[in-house]
Amino acid sequence: MNFADDPAEAGFRAGLRAWLRDHLDEHREGTGYESAESVERTLRWHRALAEAGYVGLSLPAAYGGHGLPDVYEGILNEELATAGAPASPPIGHIAHAVADFASEELKARVLPGLLGCAEVWCQGFSEPGAGSDLAGLTTTATADGDRFVVNGQKIWTSGAMWSDRCLLLARTEPGLARHRGLSMLVVDMRSAGVDCREIVLASGSREFAEVFFDDVSVPAANLVGERGQGWRIAMHMLAYERGPADMGWVGRLGRVLAEAREDVRTGRVAADAGLRLRLAEAAVDVEVLRWHVARSLAGRGGGSDGAAGSVDKLLTTRVEQNLYRVVSDLAGPSFVLGAPGPFADYLWSRAQSIYGGTQQIQRQIVAQRVLGLPRA
Amino acid sequence: MEIELTAEQRAFRESCGKLAANLAARWHRGRGPHDIDPPTPGDDSWSRVVDSGWLAIGLREENGGAGASVVDLTVLAERLGYHAVPAPVLGAVIAAEQLQTWNAPPGLLQDLAEGGLRLAPALDAGLRTLAGAAENSLAWDAAGAEAAVIPATGVAHALGDALPFADPTRAVRPLGAPSGLPAITLTPPGEQALARLGAFTLSLLTADLLGTMQAALDAAIDHARTREQFGAPIGSFQAVQQLLADGHVLVEATRSASYHAAWAVDALPGAEALRAARVAKAFASRSAVEVCESAVQVFGGIGMTWEAPAHIWLRRAHTGRTVFGDEHHHQGVIADDDPHRS
Repeated sequence: MNFADDPAEAGFRAGLRAWLRDHLDEHREGTGYESAESVERTLRWHRALAEAGYVGLSLPAAYGGHGLPDVYEGILNEELATAGAPASPPIGHIAHAVADFASEELKARVLPGLLGCAEVWCQGFSEPGAGSDLAGLTTTATADGDRFVVNGQKIWTSGAMWSDRCLLLARTEPGLARHRGLSMLVVDMRSAGVDCREIVLASGSREFAEVFFDDVSVPAANLVGERGQGWRIAMHMLAYERGPADMGWVGRLGRVLAEAREDVRTGRVAADAGLRLRLAEAAVDVEVLRWHVARSLAGRGGGSDGAAGSVDKLLTTRVEQNLYRVVSDLAGPSFVLGAPGPFADYLWSRAQSIYGGTQQIQRQIVAQRVLGLPRA
Repeated sequence: MEIELTAEQRAFRESCGKLAANLAARWHRGRGPHDIDPPTPGDDSWSRVVDSGWLAIGLREENGGAGASVVDLTVLAERLGYHAVPAPVLGAVIAAEQLQTWNAPPGLLQDLAEGGLRLAPALDAGLRTLAGAAENSLAWDAAGAEAAVIPATGVAHALGDALPFADPTRAVRPLGAPSGLPAITLTPPGEQALARLGAFTLSLLTADLLGTMQAALDAAIDHARTREQFGAPIGSFQAVQQLLADGHVLVEATRSASYHAAWAVDALPGAEALRAARVAKAFASRSAVEVCESAVQVFGGIGMTWEAPAHIWLRRAHTGRTVFGDEHHHQGVIADDDPHRS
């Protein structure tokens, strides 16, 4: 049992801190997804991190990654949050799916661009008629000689507006039902027939879009894994997306908590005894989440376990939404009156129990796949 | 980072589980509060506890122990909680650790390690912290104990009859007059050593709560798989599945917190370990009650009776939560901390 850094981890952490001291200031402000300028600044930050060697830590070195254990992703996210830096690029789930399933040729062709942040990727899963029931999706990729022809519509696609490529889950085997008929393709977003329309989030963030595919031609060489393997790859990917490593959740929550405690300590925010106790309760939650995520990362050892990812996401959601309730209450009337920051943050916390599979879907996964309860 | 039990610790867990199950099976839960055995272990049970080395392993070698890590001890405590073992192992281990921290003579600690002398820890009247004086203080997990020592005076106090206590697996007894035992020469520990003792205690209670909630959840899952309504196992209904899934999340989070707290006692300075242990105990206290309440809910009507064991875990969750401070107590301390130290 050792929750502390081993010498290599400590060395990595020290190097990262030194790099942040020298480079963070020029990137600290103005990132986000609220405007074209903030998106450009966000992508510039991602490229700077990649150039410094901090993207794709747990991905193979042969394709532009760094071949490190998963705990390094946790150290990265923790240090970024502690330093007040913007988050790392949310691409771990996509990169692992490609690295673990794609052909050598495809990996060599696309992973360096993804991990170098030279190219931006999005994930084309949800559809208007296929949200929680993902296996019911209807976008088709029809085999036609050495290419697939894609038709259909994706929705809630983060970053689609400025993406170069899309990892697309589509129906390639019309004769096979639901899960069995799906495949995963790498689609060039600049292809003829791809059309994006922005969707503004309730919080004001402009990272969502719906994507229309109208006879889009995709080379057969862009198939990830084999035909019919799409569902398996998608579940592998979701396990990473739901898991703790890739999203930098814990660090971000730690920062929100630290700011709230600082506000209370300095008296900038008036908190009665009841609120202070609730803040302490949230502090306990965030700290437990931190140790839980450390345990998940240390135990994952390169693979990913889909159901364990669901446990982590359920815990994270519970902790995050409770924290934001306390933070909202600490804000008092300024939660709803004046600058929209606190309310927008709160709205975004409500998304946590929806994206990547709703809280209800995650509970079903845990109940049926971890606890072995019977399906109805 | 390396955050799982070692192969040796897993083997120890299994052997602890076997004996704990055996000890629990010898205890009669009865058909109602009028008809259960007291938690005092019989001579045979107690000698099996002593022979297993459970009372000795945590003490330092010069005191007749094996110098086991706190992680090892929490492996034991988790299994004791899982089987709701009534024998007062944690009480004896905590009393011995307290005396070791106060630099008790090795001969006395050896007696404790060998089970010849049976002591219980003395807590304040609110059951929150180790007692500083005998007045109004209470010995916890004191079934069969001869006395409880107040370290500040070195006096061993005799114990009165067990008070009514929600948890039938453990006895709480008031401290009385000095017992026949000679006064013990003790020297007060430093601040860090006292903080470490607090962390040690909270880590063990956290692990006991972890075992308790895991047992309740496992039993509820079993029940949900087999109990049929509307022609199907109730575990196939989403409402029931969601309750149990949330329980599993709380159990796993508590396990992470428990590992961290135990590791911290072994690896970090006392004050840091104490903070980690407060976090773990606060989280475990509220989570254990929530999970055990869910288990009672899944059992339905029978969960409200002495025909099912669910209430035993709920009782142990509530008392384990209260003893050495519940979540409100520890969160209160954390709220008053300088946030820069978080």
